[in-house]
Amino acid sequence: MTPAWLSRVALAVLLSAAMAAAQDAPPEVLISRQLAAEQGLTVGSIVQLAVDAEGTRARSFRVAGIYEPTPDPARLGAAPREVRLHLPDLLDLTRPPDVPAGAEYIGNINVALVDPADAAAFSRDVNARMPGVIARPSTEAAGSAGPFRVLERFHLAIAVVTIVAATVFLLALTIMLVDERRETVGILRLIGLPARRVLVQVLIEGLIVAGAGAAFGLVLALLSEGLINAFFQWRYDTALVFVRITRDVALTSAAIAVPLGASATVLASWALLRRSGLRLARR
Amino acid sequence: MNALAFAWRSLVRQPARAILGVLGVAAVGALLFDMLLLSQGLITSMRDLLERSGWDIRVAATELPGRSGRLTGATAMAERIAALPSAKSVLIVRTADARIERSSGRPIDATFQGVARRSREGASITPPWTVTRGRDARGSDEAVIDTTIAEAAGVDVGGRITLRASCSADREALPPARLTVVGIAEFPFAGPNEAALGGSLETLRSACGGNAADDADLLLVTSAGESRETAAAIREAVPGVHALTNDDVVGRLQQTGFTYFRQISAVLTAVTVTFAVLLISVLLTVSVNQRLGEIAALRALGFSRSRVVADVLSESALIVGLGGLLSLPLGVALASGLDRILKGMPGIPADLHFFVFEGTALAVHLGLLAATALIAALYPMRIVSSLPIAATLRNEVIG
Repeated sequence: MTPAWLSRVALAVLLSAAMAAAQDAPPEVLISRQLAAEQGLTVGSIVQLAVDAEGTRARSFRVAGIYEPTPDPARLGAAPREVRLHLPDLLDLTRPPDVPAGAEYIGNINVALVDPADAAAFSRDVNARMPGVIARPSTEAAGSAGPFRVLERFHLAIAVVTIVAATVFLLALTIMLVDERRETVGILRLIGLPARRVLVQVLIEGLIVAGAGAAFGLVLALLSEGLINAFFQWRYDTALVFVRITRDVALTSAAIAVPLGASATVLASWALLRRSGLRLARR
Repeated sequence: MNALAFAWRSLVRQPARAILGVLGVAAVGALLFDMLLLSQGLITSMRDLLERSGWDIRVAATELPGRSGRLTGATAMAERIAALPSAKSVLIVRTADARIERSSGRPIDATFQGVARRSREGASITPPWTVTRGRDARGSDEAVIDTTIAEAAGVDVGGRITLRASCSADREALPPARLTVVGIAEFPFAGPNEAALGGSLETLRSACGGNAADDADLLLVTSAGESRETAAAIREAVPGVHALTNDDVVGRLQQTGFTYFRQISAVLTAVTVTFAVLLISVLLTVSVNQRLGEIAALRALGFSRSRVVADVLSESALIVGLGGLLSLPLGVALASGLDRILKGMPGIPADLHFFVFEGTALAVHLGLLAATALIAALYPMRIVSSLPIAATLRNEVIG
């Protein structure tokens, strides 16, 4: 049963502990954590649900449990005030008086397949056999992930700009640092080390520094991951995970940062190493 | 030679590092500028879009118009609202999913907006679209379409389209409806990748095969006086509905979903400013450390402590200033690209922008860059101000 279905039911929620004894085992419902917190409902509470705010055809239900709604990125910021009913109870509640039982329609049927890989073939089969019904694999129907895909692209663009800015600064810094070591490099050249040998040394140094920097960055990201998630989950009252440092993310970051740092060092050293040892060592 | 000219010569003497420093500040500054535009852009753009539409109040079943939930008994409700002395006109808006058939290729998925007008005599009513060519739809088999449908279906004013609309479930198998295209229109609240067509509510209901109940997604109201008072009168006349003025809608958006962009903008602003301060500070510190002997010599020649401090500050100001200037055109170009990315979000109207230029954003940008230049120069300024002249010169000679 989807939230869209449930949201069509206007809810009048009235807590009434005294009614519990008066009713004969009312049907059970699940209440979203946010609604339970807002209305002070607990497991066992008796609530009244109706199709409109006036309380038309209100019926009593017993709260059998409190659940965490599936996070929906499309509804970020709106506290999900939801109730889950058994389908027959929902139909009984929402069916207009002039509609006979069994004549209602439903929005969606979710089907779990024995082999999920058969989803496309199963959908084609249903579409061919049942005109008027549209079956789609859930991967195609996951429209609610759209905002997240857009945010992913947005964050990627921001990351690219940040990398460009960091690269430019890194080059400026390495040029200065290499310049600071020109005398040392000059002496190494004068005692017989070929330029290629010095360049390898610079490259190894660059790799070590870039590797250490990338590792530090990853540790910082891991430490801040929890903080960022905690803040946004608190801010939007949701179970959505906003930041997740996965193995792939860590490897991608390292794969960008380490070669970039090492390349910047080698690039900055290249101009220096083309000069003679005497020129470099001269004060 | 004043401090600024002296700092300029210092930078020119080492062009590679100066250019890279300026480019780095430009890239960081562009990002900073964009984050400042993002912080209020969406709200400013939404307010502008709502005000341009010409409607003062939106009546919906839920707090934010456009989200799930419909108004039932829409016709009677619209009539009750139109009868209020403070209401000038009411427009019932009902949307439905539609599939427009094409002679070849897949059908076009579109949103069909059906409207019905209720007004006091003489009051003009603006539909939620702007006709750019042809005329507005009046008859029960007429429609206006946007350019996306016109191009994809290869029809123009006077042509006919065949569509299947669905008013109840996600998809229904209904007989096709044939409509005459009487105009090409812009739908300001339609998404950039969304195809839209409009017509009368009667047309929409008939296209839905009579399956549409007397419900509406939205009632748009123009008030005769103060919109806040009219909204209160509507809430009193029709209990259980949400009647929101344009200011209310913007306020709700500020409090709910769109706050994400404000938060991300605040976080990225803080990160970019910190990043810029750290890097410029390191650049200046390394640069100053490499020139300690030179600075000590200048002091020995008679340059005052405040003068060498001013030189360092001027160098920082030049790097940040030049980078900041470059960051503005870069930021505008970047904002255009980022805006295009974010507008790919489902349900975002094509006319809504996430990055909107505002004078205050520019002022804050300049202020933050000035603060960056000052803070980044603090440590290197301290180094040059506390430099022991004799010891530094001696170290330079014997080092």
